[in-house]
Amino acid sequence: MNNLTKDIKKEVAQKVSKKINLKAALSLATGALFGTSVTTGAVGQTIEADEWQFDTAFLLYSEVDRVTAGEAIVAGTKTFSNDEVLNLKFTFDTLTGPSANGAIAQPKAQTFTRASGIGRYRTPEGETPLDDTFHDTRVQLNGQWTQPVSDNVTGSVGGHLSKEYDYLSLGLNGNLAYDFNRKNSTFSMGISYFSDTFTPEGGIPKPLSSMLVGDSNSPEWDDEFAKTRISASENKSTSDLLIGFTQVINRRMITAFNYSYSMVDGYLTDPFKVVSVLNAEGLAQDYIYENRPDSRVKQSTFMQAKYHFDDSLLNMVADVSYRYMWDDWGINSHTIDSRFIIPVGRASYIEPHIRFYQQSAADFFTPFVIEDQLPVDFVSADYRIGEMSAVTIGAKYGVALNGGNELSFRLEYYHQRPTNGGFEEPEALNGLDTTPVIDAIIAQVSYSF
Amino acid sequence: MMKKNRTVNLTKKKDGYGINFNAMASPCEVLIQTPDKCLAELVGQYVSHEVWRIEDKYSRYDTQSVCSQINTSSGRNIAIDEETFLLLNFADQCYQLSDGLFDISSGVLRKVWTFDGVSSEYQHFPNQDDINKVLELVGWHKVIFDKQSISLPSQMQLDFGGIGKEYAVDRSILLAKQHTKRPVLVNLGGDLAVTGPRDNEQPWQVAIEPPDCSGVEHKQDMIVAIKQGALATSGDARRYLINAGIRYGHVLNAKTGWPILHAPRSITTVAPQCIQAGILATLGLLQGQQAEAFLTEQEITYWARR
Amino acid sequence: MKVNKTKVKTRMNVILLSVCVVSLSACSSLGVEPWERDLLAKKEMALTSSPIDAALDDHIYFSKEASSGGKSFGGGGCGCN
Repeated sequence: MNNLTKDIKKEVAQKVSKKINLKAALSLATGALFGTSVTTGAVGQTIEADEWQFDTAFLLYSEVDRVTAGEAIVAGTKTFSNDEVLNLKFTFDTLTGPSANGAIAQPKAQTFTRASGIGRYRTPEGETPLDDTFHDTRVQLNGQWTQPVSDNVTGSVGGHLSKEYDYLSLGLNGNLAYDFNRKNSTFSMGISYFSDTFTPEGGIPKPLSSMLVGDSNSPEWDDEFAKTRISASENKSTSDLLIGFTQVINRRMITAFNYSYSMVDGYLTDPFKVVSVLNAEGLAQDYIYENRPDSRVKQSTFMQAKYHFDDSLLNMVADVSYRYMWDDWGINSHTIDSRFIIPVGRASYIEPHIRFYQQSAADFFTPFVIEDQLPVDFVSADYRIGEMSAVTIGAKYGVALNGGNELSFRLEYYHQRPTNGGFEEPEALNGLDTTPVIDAIIAQVSYSF
Repeated sequence: MMKKNRTVNLTKKKDGYGINFNAMASPCEVLIQTPDKCLAELVGQYVSHEVWRIEDKYSRYDTQSVCSQINTSSGRNIAIDEETFLLLNFADQCYQLSDGLFDISSGVLRKVWTFDGVSSEYQHFPNQDDINKVLELVGWHKVIFDKQSISLPSQMQLDFGGIGKEYAVDRSILLAKQHTKRPVLVNLGGDLAVTGPRDNEQPWQVAIEPPDCSGVEHKQDMIVAIKQGALATSGDARRYLINAGIRYGHVLNAKTGWPILHAPRSITTVAPQCIQAGILATLGLLQGQQAEAFLTEQEITYWARR
Repeated sequence: MKVNKTKVKTRMNVILLSVCVVSLSACSSLGVEPWERDLLAKKEMALTSSPIDAALDDHIYFSKEASSGGKSFGGGGCGCN
């Protein structure tokens, strides 16, 4: 007999001659049999596990001196026996606070009519005009059904419904994914269609017409105001095509490549936004409602890589992606997004995140119009389609709780910096902040169970 | 001998796969929590082939098996490999620990005790002479073995049935761990073990059948949650004799040749390895009336049904 | 309108994507065996490891910037842009 077994036999015999400690003796014997060291077992009582997996989150978005929004999501996922998955999601969000109306700052105070046509608001000299009439509450429902269609093909269909006080959106989507190369590669193709109806308070303004500024209590107001309106509501429809390819590179790395093509048709103008008409010195003479084309074709290419590092780099997972978008309005954008999931201890993780964004202005974007440039075709001073760059920096902390639940907290800082895309500013605008920066804090708490 | 059914079936489960096959006269199951069908197939292949390998090697019903070679050796030396040596060693230690109650050479006693729960009253109930004759062929101390070979008196038989299935479970777990870090559960006819908890530290949920499943009233299964280690059940649910109103289970006292009296119907124990759990359950049963007390004193986690 | 520039850019990007896809499909030696999927199976290695966070972020950036989607459908959805 080999030495190891001899020793163990002696030890076992010794244990037997004293009070028999079965557990320990058997552990030794088993260890000898399998040539392994023994680990301790653990058993507990249990209750039936739920089949639904719920994810809930509450987010607060708050811009300095501007908009504040809160959003809550409750989503449930149920997996059925044949690999079928049902996902239902309910979203509630509410928005309040002032946002820019498109007009530019002036060395004097400015007065505007509220979007609803009732009442006025005044912007002090030197400040960017903000309309604070926006209070919006929105409810959204999504449903998605995914199931295997054949051995290597998975199909998915879904619906979307979103309702705000003045906005209704209905959508459908469908997708097919094909796995090959021992499931190391997946090719997928999906389409979606959304139909939106917009019924803003105050109706749809006549594009490029002057904003009527005056006493909304006067008897002639309603008629005069109605003359500046062309309809009570407008529609738009969005059709998307998304083609994707994912590839497992090796045990630690997976990559994805997407191409998307999107066509939007209908009313794409923002009915609440105006453009300042300035004289040669730069003083505002008029405010005209913006006008955007009635179609927009957007395309984007997207690539992503995820890599799981080993012990030498904290076993972290790195996620880096790049998206390039271009459209027929002349807007190009680059987005680089990266996050790192770093495990902390046995049950928690920390996830730092950084995102860079840069976009060029739409062809018809201008921060203001000089009188003698009129008439114009399409025009908008909405900084959101102007030249800008933005940075998001933040971190998430998550902890796994008993019973497989997870609690996480996320805090991010979003800094958006519009830049002057080569527009020469007239004298009166000297010294004024014509590209105001937006700083926002994003705070989120999530709970999954 | 029945033709062996050696097919492996793969079924998709809620969040993983189940692999089913038959071995050691029991339904066998491997559960793996993975979305990867290929991985499930692979682990299923490895485990089923390992279990069949052990069955082929140690089954006393298989004329080609090592066990049969030993049992037909007629006193000669039979060469053994390391695996067999380690198993014999383990059996030896169990013999010591149980003070001779657990004895893998006691299989021959089945010649006088035939158990069939169905029409138990009319089974042949042996007399003391029959038992004494067979008892001469029982006795682990008569077996001589070392790393290379084994010899035992003619007509003595070894029966690995008491440890074979549990050993196969533990070997399967080791094999599964070599090939994946995904949670795996191996269940060979009620003796089972897991590689670790399910995702998110979730326990596996195992239902333990109540001993009396013949009646119309279907008693509730007991659900046990297991995160680590193994579970084995020893019992006489279906195999027992009734004579003069006394129920005799099929677990035999190797020293007296008689069934253990007043043992629980079944004992389920928990231990880090399945073979340990199995021995503990059997040792518990061998204490008969004292089963629960014995297991409690030894601080073993168990469930007993009477 | 900068139509021609867009057309050239489109063509270039489609070619770039095609090249990527073709060269990847040609490398069917890339990938893992089923038993090497331990790390890939982890939740953190899913392409979208937190769909709720992604949905919330998408909504914010859709309201504040001119781009949307890319990873998933951009879609309509709300009256924010």
